[in-house]
Amino acid sequence: MSTATTAVGRQSSEDFRPGSKRQHEVTKLLPGPMLAIILTVLCALVLIPVAYIFLASVNSDIGVARGEFFPSSFSFENYSTIWSSVGLATGLANSVLVAGSTAVVSALMSIATAYVLVRYQFRGRLTILRGLLGLQSVPGTLMVLPVFVLFSSSASYLGIQIIGTQWGLFVTYLTFAMPFSTWVMVTYLRGLPRELEEAARIDGASNLGVLVRIILPLSWPGVVVSGIFAFLLGWNDVLFASVMTRPESQTAAVALQVFGASQEGGAIPYYGQMMAASLVCAAPVVILYLIFQRYLVGGLTAGGVK
Amino acid sequence: MSTDSLTAGKSTRRKSSRAAKPDPQSPDNAPRRRKGLSERNRPLWMLIPGGLLMVIIIVVPLLLGIFMSGLDLDQYSLRQWVSAPFIGVQNFVEALTASPLLHAIWLSVSYSLLAMVVTIPLGIAGAVATQNAFKGRAVIRSIFLVPYVLPSFVVATVWRTMFQPGSVIDSALHSVGIDPGLWLNGPQSYWTLILVQIWASWPFVYLLALSGLQSVDHEVHEASALDGALWWNKLRYVVFPYLKGPLSLAFLIGMLHHINNFTLPFVLFGVPAPSDVELLPILTYVTSFQSFRFGLSAAMAFISLILIAIPLFVYLRAVKLDDAETPGGKK
Repeated sequence: MSTATTAVGRQSSEDFRPGSKRQHEVTKLLPGPMLAIILTVLCALVLIPVAYIFLASVNSDIGVARGEFFPSSFSFENYSTIWSSVGLATGLANSVLVAGSTAVVSALMSIATAYVLVRYQFRGRLTILRGLLGLQSVPGTLMVLPVFVLFSSSASYLGIQIIGTQWGLFVTYLTFAMPFSTWVMVTYLRGLPRELEEAARIDGASNLGVLVRIILPLSWPGVVVSGIFAFLLGWNDVLFASVMTRPESQTAAVALQVFGASQEGGAIPYYGQMMAASLVCAAPVVILYLIFQRYLVGGLTAGGVK
Repeated sequence: MSTDSLTAGKSTRRKSSRAAKPDPQSPDNAPRRRKGLSERNRPLWMLIPGGLLMVIIIVVPLLLGIFMSGLDLDQYSLRQWVSAPFIGVQNFVEALTASPLLHAIWLSVSYSLLAMVVTIPLGIAGAVATQNAFKGRAVIRSIFLVPYVLPSFVVATVWRTMFQPGSVIDSALHSVGIDPGLWLNGPQSYWTLILVQIWASWPFVYLLALSGLQSVDHEVHEASALDGALWWNKLRYVVFPYLKGPLSLAFLIGMLHHINNFTLPFVLFGVPAPSDVELLPILTYVTSFQSFRFGLSAAMAFISLILIAIPLFVYLRAVKLDDAETPGGKK
């Protein structure tokens, strides 16, 4: 909010620099006060609930229930109890395991798929590209029941127990992450020059050699972005995880949801613990986003999917 | 409607040809015609892992789901679902006549539209305000994206706490003399859902609007400055036309997201949800995993796929798949 006012103030200081004033006046879209109002309102809209998460997590449960914004008593105790009470220790371990492996495998598979789609002509190529976009919008609620039935059938017909293990979640997330990850890689690989590949080919590199030695090192920002999106898909999912896990294979998302839902009833809910757990679950995602922000924003607009 | 569903079905069905293709085709990889793309020595086998995965986890379950929508399935017959009685279209008839499905469709579509109506102006305002450079702009841009980055289950948990009776929102409204009533139950829960959805998804519109603003040519700015256009007229007649494309895209994708959104209402209201927020995904889920009417739920899911197919079809038609058939060229 204070940034908004300095921004307005700065306009006049920029006037003294030759050239820049005119430039600024020409491209300016909003008058100063208007700009300040919009920025203040939007920042408040975003930051007040975010600040509330932290403030409520250090508040007492009664304080939260009474509707305090600023806590009357501070305590960081919630941050030590949530690991066992919410089940966040197991939840986070499972989330990291499942979402992390999904990210790595999905990034590697999508770069291979995208490489073929971008560099080679074959029948059905455009169909696959269109399918990649279309599959991103298949509703999860449509898939959850048949996938569940398929996985439980594998226990009775093949003797492989998938439901309740992390494998089921991993395979599901991997599949649903693939269309978007591949699309991100397709848009990225299109921007790579082909000369290096051709040079490597003249030196006798195989297809796989070109992919591993040339494409992969050149496209790591794309790989990171598609990996992060796959990670987020696994991290944020509640639907599949709520159906396909047992308490010991629960992800953090389900642990938090179950904990929140179980608070209904007579006594005052453990609001502080819920908020602390929310903050802990959100932290890895927000940190990843802040580190890779520049690449992620490009990926978001390219594919337009969370 | 039926053609839309056909195309959506086809796009997924065509995927099955994707995994099957590399095997029969790889022996005869002789070059036929040369375009920008190589046809020699194609490593089509690289498509196999991803293709196989999608066939097993998406195409097979999709067909299975369609098959199940014709079965009388409950928790007892689910274990032997292959031998469950086939009852034809009865599930569809029941879904459309004797279940809250039509109400759920209405809720889903209207809530998605109402949320879009508010997020679009918010997104434009945010984009226009951060387009011109100023000190601290990078920080503000990061802040704007925070609601979008936060996981849905976190957003829902936090708002659920804030909307509890007597909690922080109520006490804030009380202090200005408003008695808001119940947020998480009863008719008002519908508006609660819209509010939270707006909070969570306006940054997406903002992102796309920003990318639209960046395509405004500098000459356009100069021309309108020479004409002495007022800021409002400049925005309205000069800048906004550039946003039409990105915003229609944001509208379509946003609608798809809102209609498909399960996590937000599920965590915000819990199940069974109040009937005023019994959206399509929630209803499908509850019918499966609370009432154990699996066949009926599969029929509902199939109907929701048809609903999704409409915006999806428009989106797929509008998007450019190839950069003018010259991959490797300009991005």
